[in-house]
Amino acid sequence: MKKICSLLALALLTFASPALSAPLNVVASFSVLGDMVQEVGGQDITLSVLVGPDGDAHTFEPAPIDAKLLHNADLIVMNGLELEKWMEKLVRASGTKADILIASEGVTPRKMNEDGQTIPDPHAWQDLTNGVIYIRNIEGALAKADPSHADDYKANAARLLTKLGALDTWTRAEIATVPEAKRKVITTHDAFGYFGAAYGVTFLAPAGISTEAEATAGNLARLIDQIKQEKIKALFIENMSDPRLMDTIAHETGAEMGGELYSDALSAASGPAPTYPAMFENNVPKLVAAMKLN
Amino acid sequence: MTRRPPLIEINDLTVAYERQPAVHHLTGSFAPGSLTAIAGPNGAGKSTLLKTLVGLIRPSEGHINMNGLRRRQMAYLPQQAEIDRGFPISVADTVALGHWQNIGIWRAVTGPRWKSVADALEKVGLKGFENHPIAKLSVGQFQRVLFARLLVQDAAVILLDEPFAAIDERTTADLMKIIHYWHDNGRTIIAILHDMDEIKSSFPETLLMARELVGWGPTEAVLTEKNLYRARALSDNWAEANRHHHHHDGTI
Amino acid sequence: MDLYQHLFAPFADYGFMRRALVACLALALGSGPIGTFLVLRRMSLMGDAISHAILPGAAIGFLVAGLSLWAMSLGGLVVGLTVALLAGLISRVTDLREDASLAGFYLMSLAAGVLIVSLRGSNVDLLHVLFGSILSVNDQALLLVAGIASLTLIVLAVIYRPLVAECFDSGFLRAVAGHGSLYHVIFLVLVVLNLVAGFQALGTLMAVGLMMLPAAAARFWAIEVWSLTALSIAIAFVSGWSGLLISYNYDLPSGPAIILTAGSFYIASIVLGRHGSIRARFFPGTHFHAR
Repeated sequence: MKKICSLLALALLTFASPALSAPLNVVASFSVLGDMVQEVGGQDITLSVLVGPDGDAHTFEPAPIDAKLLHNADLIVMNGLELEKWMEKLVRASGTKADILIASEGVTPRKMNEDGQTIPDPHAWQDLTNGVIYIRNIEGALAKADPSHADDYKANAARLLTKLGALDTWTRAEIATVPEAKRKVITTHDAFGYFGAAYGVTFLAPAGISTEAEATAGNLARLIDQIKQEKIKALFIENMSDPRLMDTIAHETGAEMGGELYSDALSAASGPAPTYPAMFENNVPKLVAAMKLN
Repeated sequence: MTRRPPLIEINDLTVAYERQPAVHHLTGSFAPGSLTAIAGPNGAGKSTLLKTLVGLIRPSEGHINMNGLRRRQMAYLPQQAEIDRGFPISVADTVALGHWQNIGIWRAVTGPRWKSVADALEKVGLKGFENHPIAKLSVGQFQRVLFARLLVQDAAVILLDEPFAAIDERTTADLMKIIHYWHDNGRTIIAILHDMDEIKSSFPETLLMARELVGWGPTEAVLTEKNLYRARALSDNWAEANRHHHHHDGTI
Repeated sequence: MDLYQHLFAPFADYGFMRRALVACLALALGSGPIGTFLVLRRMSLMGDAISHAILPGAAIGFLVAGLSLWAMSLGGLVVGLTVALLAGLISRVTDLREDASLAGFYLMSLAAGVLIVSLRGSNVDLLHVLFGSILSVNDQALLLVAGIASLTLIVLAVIYRPLVAECFDSGFLRAVAGHGSLYHVIFLVLVVLNLVAGFQALGTLMAVGLMMLPAAAARFWAIEVWSLTALSIAIAFVSGWSGLLISYNYDLPSGPAIILTAGSFYIASIVLGRHGSIRARFFPGTHFHAR
């Protein structure tokens, strides 16, 4: 009798363990979120990212494989704030039963101006304090989906939060080394609204928030005037739009290229900004160096 | 009458298009200075023969012996349809193209050459039309322009494909005079014509064909009822035979 | 003075406006004559076809060398020429007419281009990046367009007579000269060169638009090849100038502003032109009398 019981118990365990140790299938909408989720989830999750490094989440066009990924997911993590306008349709098409986490929930949203319309600014992760909110939301969602590893998630999140806290302090200190009047920067992508508000930097852009807006001669001339008036020498190309436009401005105003900033996506693993913290570690020194030239 | 050696000799010529012979085993010759009309039913291969003589089409079988005649000594007038009538070019420039063999793409059209253009235009009855855009010309006037170009080309052999198709009588008569002018000057003329009366009245030699040779020689001898009937019969026969393979031993 | 303020000041004040204007001039000088001949040869849609056909070439150039003007132009040039010449060859050797032949090839080329672009993995709007924009003409692009315009003018001056002969009466040229196709090929090479240069410097819309619209408009005013060409160049340049001013003053995208200006010249010509226009047909004025 005892032998049968232990045999049964062994059999049950054998059957039960695959279910217990199967990693959670998580799909993140784009690379920044993907990195956050990977850090918190660690080895207990299998992560897929829809818009990979250097990709453009604003203009992403889903392929059939993406619907399949969603369908097989246990948890979907998206930014919200109208970043992923394509997500709703894709979710419906995939017929997925997964929970969907809006990572930016709880963030105080900013507004921005695009083509005369006021729309929500989705780039909340550019403020590290918002990043903290994101991480907490992600931790909560992962723990809910897979309670057996809640402790792991909590530990991972805590580690990351400490890191972010230090990063935030460091960023403020770096920017403080630039005189207040010089804290101005030009970049092609209007993604730094939250960063600017949080860390006291003014960002000016020649084109609107998305990569689709086409430049006009009038806009360009006015921007050049502004640069000359405000004496800005800090220029940055965001890693997606037409760099030639930036060259034109640089040519005209003597402003210099400050290097590449990462705002809407992480870089590839071999690049300078493969993780969320690395993004700040790349951006901040470059911003500071360029602003000092103003 | 002294028999001069032939200028253009055709030996067993066959010209086929997608295995259909347009010209079938044709043999004969054109004497220098001759004035020959080519006649035959529609689709008889007359245009194809002319194009082969000029070198635009290659023979499938057989051989044409030009006896030293070079391309630059031949002038060819195709049927009008292939030219862009609406093109913004003047009468003078069109006629001046006739000097191509001498000036190519580089050399300018000089004074004496422009004079020859003016002379040619006068000869065809278009004096003063130099600056007219060709788009504004009637069909008859345009044909005169093309003849003026031929005059300027000053070629030894002139080949004409239906020069009087859809042309008014007055123009036909005037252009016929040009043909006689050439003939009087010892040039060789070969012209495809449909109007039997025209051929009988103006052309001493005729080549009658319906893909194959029906008759070639003095017009009165060639354009007999019997030959014309035979040409038509051959033409109908070919239409029939198009649906079968053709073998040279007559079997199908 | 107010007129100066409006017409010249923006160009005096801003380098990018000056460069854009010079680029328009170069494009007008090169593409004006080419467009005229395309219209005369009834090949007006070729510009559009080639703009799609060169995509795989430019994409490969980008994959190999990044945003290098020369790499993408070279790639685009090679593929564009291949498509144009293949289409011509097929139409000569088989029964297929040139327009159908070209359509077949450029569609295949476009599909190949889209495939290559998607293989790269990222979702960068490559089409936007592969082709230029008039506001970001740099010295390299200017050099390219100006160089091609000069080359075009020189070559056209040399082959002017055979080209006209070939457009007008290709049968005559073939009978008399025997190598009429050579000039057709040279012309095709010039077409693709001008288009590729135009794409790289100014984008596809601008390049094709400034090539075809002025030439089409000129047809209603001039009746000789040389005056058609001159008028095409003039209309193209004025459209560029006006379009840039409109874009500057009314905050409109420059490329479309320039093309719509050229388009309005075109519409005006259809309605009011001296030859073959609506006015000429319905309101011809008193007829001539014999003197």
